[in-house]
Amino acid sequence: MDDQGCPRCKTTKYRNPSLKLMVNVCGHTLCENCVDMLFVRGSGNCVQCDTPLRKSNFRVQLFEDPAVDKEVEIRKKLLKTFNKRDFDFPSLAAYNDYLEKIEEIVYNQTNNVEVEGTKQIIEQYQRENREVIQRNKVKLTREQEELEEMLLLEQQGTEQRRLDLLQDEQRQLQAKRKNKQALLDELERSRVPATILLAQHKDRVAQLETQIEKQKQAVKTSTVFSTGILMGQTVSLQPMAKIEEVLYRYQPLFIETYGPPVPELDHLGRLGYLKHVRAALPQDTAGGYSSGLACHRALQDAFSGLFPIQF
Amino acid sequence: MAVDEGEHIGTITDVVHYALEKLRCEANTKCYNKLSTSGKESMLLGRYEEQVLFRYYEKRLLDFCNAFKPTMPKAVVGTAIMFFRRFYLNNSLMEYHPRIIMLTCAYLSCKVDEFNVSSTQFVGNLLQETPAGQERVLEQILEFELLLIQQLNFHLVVHTPYRPMEGLLIDIKTRYPPLENPESLRKSADDFLTRANTTDAGLLFAPSQIALIAILNSASRAGLNMDSYLSECMGMKDNREYIVKLNESMRRMKKLIKDYELPKAEEVSAYKEKLERVHLEFNTSTNKRKRGYEEDGHVAKIQCRTEDEEWTDED
Repeated sequence: MDDQGCPRCKTTKYRNPSLKLMVNVCGHTLCENCVDMLFVRGSGNCVQCDTPLRKSNFRVQLFEDPAVDKEVEIRKKLLKTFNKRDFDFPSLAAYNDYLEKIEEIVYNQTNNVEVEGTKQIIEQYQRENREVIQRNKVKLTREQEELEEMLLLEQQGTEQRRLDLLQDEQRQLQAKRKNKQALLDELERSRVPATILLAQHKDRVAQLETQIEKQKQAVKTSTVFSTGILMGQTVSLQPMAKIEEVLYRYQPLFIETYGPPVPELDHLGRLGYLKHVRAALPQDTAGGYSSGLACHRALQDAFSGLFPIQF
Repeated sequence: MAVDEGEHIGTITDVVHYALEKLRCEANTKCYNKLSTSGKESMLLGRYEEQVLFRYYEKRLLDFCNAFKPTMPKAVVGTAIMFFRRFYLNNSLMEYHPRIIMLTCAYLSCKVDEFNVSSTQFVGNLLQETPAGQERVLEQILEFELLLIQQLNFHLVVHTPYRPMEGLLIDIKTRYPPLENPESLRKSADDFLTRANTTDAGLLFAPSQIALIAILNSASRAGLNMDSYLSECMGMKDNREYIVKLNESMRRMKKLIKDYELPKAEEVSAYKEKLERVHLEFNTSTNKRKRGYEEDGHVAKIQCRTEDEEWTDED
């Protein structure tokens, strides 16, 4: 989270989690306060690498690793010049080569490798492709404008819907109020007994509510039934073909024990085995244990395997 | 324990008996060949010597389990001995020292039979060692545990004859009134079972058979005749063959027990020395604490990790 403190004042980052780290072109970070202090005159040298820097070059760090931020900045700047698109190239291989060149330049600049040579490459490219760059810039801006227009439209659509909803609610409230007012007026004016008037009023309220319900439901037009069949699809009413299969017959499990038969668990008490087994204590029976279980297990162990196996 | 030449090799037990002996010889020769490449054949153990030492260590295992605090249930002891026996069916004593394997068997059988003893408590029973020595033994046990499980082919559940014996006693009490006091049979049957533990009986007969033979044996010692029990209650009267075979097995088991002789002290000390020398000679090359399963490369041990750390430091 706060991976490391500001390299200069070290402690302040932990004490103040809202404090942000700023990165600039050399890739080293400084917290906001340190930036203000060091660059009070507008320009100075980086603390760790001593490159001359300007205060305006500091940007808020978005990534944990300041090297990543540095690379992102370099890339942004580079792609302003190297802005050819895939249809500008005759073949996919050529486009890929171009992209690789860009990556090399980015890598060189990030790791401060061959700074001079890289700069020359950039300048050369700029000179050669001035018109292409210009053209692509224009195209890019046009695309961005289109995107922005679409976003705007969407926003407007949501706004509109919100307003409609509000209006609906308002209308309903008003209708209710009118109803109540009408009831009061009638109670005042008419000669019909009050109970009948109340009943009429209730009817009207019920009607209003059903209307509101219908309106809400009308919004959700469904195209499928709950079973998944589309509405309007004709379903054949012919009976489905019967698939006959063999009925499953239960066969109880039979295990060869090579020994005399063991009495069933339920019969043990009747046959008198349980007299010779230690009785179950109340604590044991609470868990479902019964002396018959131990007896049955001992008998099974005693009887299985007694008869020699014939080969 | 070879079968006498005079006996007819007919039943399945004989075949198995031969097979057991063959397995042990094979294990011995395999190890022999592996270790004899260095030319020191005279110091390796032969089959008879291994057998003597095996019996000696088995007795020690039995004593250890009997002296164990808290008292180890008989089933756990039976399981431990069975593990020990099965392990040395396929491996030679020269490869893995029986002293450590014996303790590992006991430890594993406590776990398998749900006799919960903590590891410190377990090594606390080794009274002749200092606490540091006990720690070392514990480490060795933990190292060999996985190897033991592997050599047992992961068959960890052992059916000992104790529960079948209880079952038979219950059955006798319920269905065989002619025998007035079955409890009197219990003590000598127990004895019989303990002695049968030290023989190959567990590998040759089903546990229920061993229990039945134990009870029949103690009954005949007390002069009681249980034939009617066998024919009536066990339903064997329709099948006289069963009774014949049962008698045959009983005879064989008695012979096994009779043939068991305690190892002689001089022989034991001589062979033990030889064993120690073999282990010292051949097992220090792969680091004194032999890592059996590690050669498969599955488990990274603490030793290996420290070695790695050293390497990176120098790097």
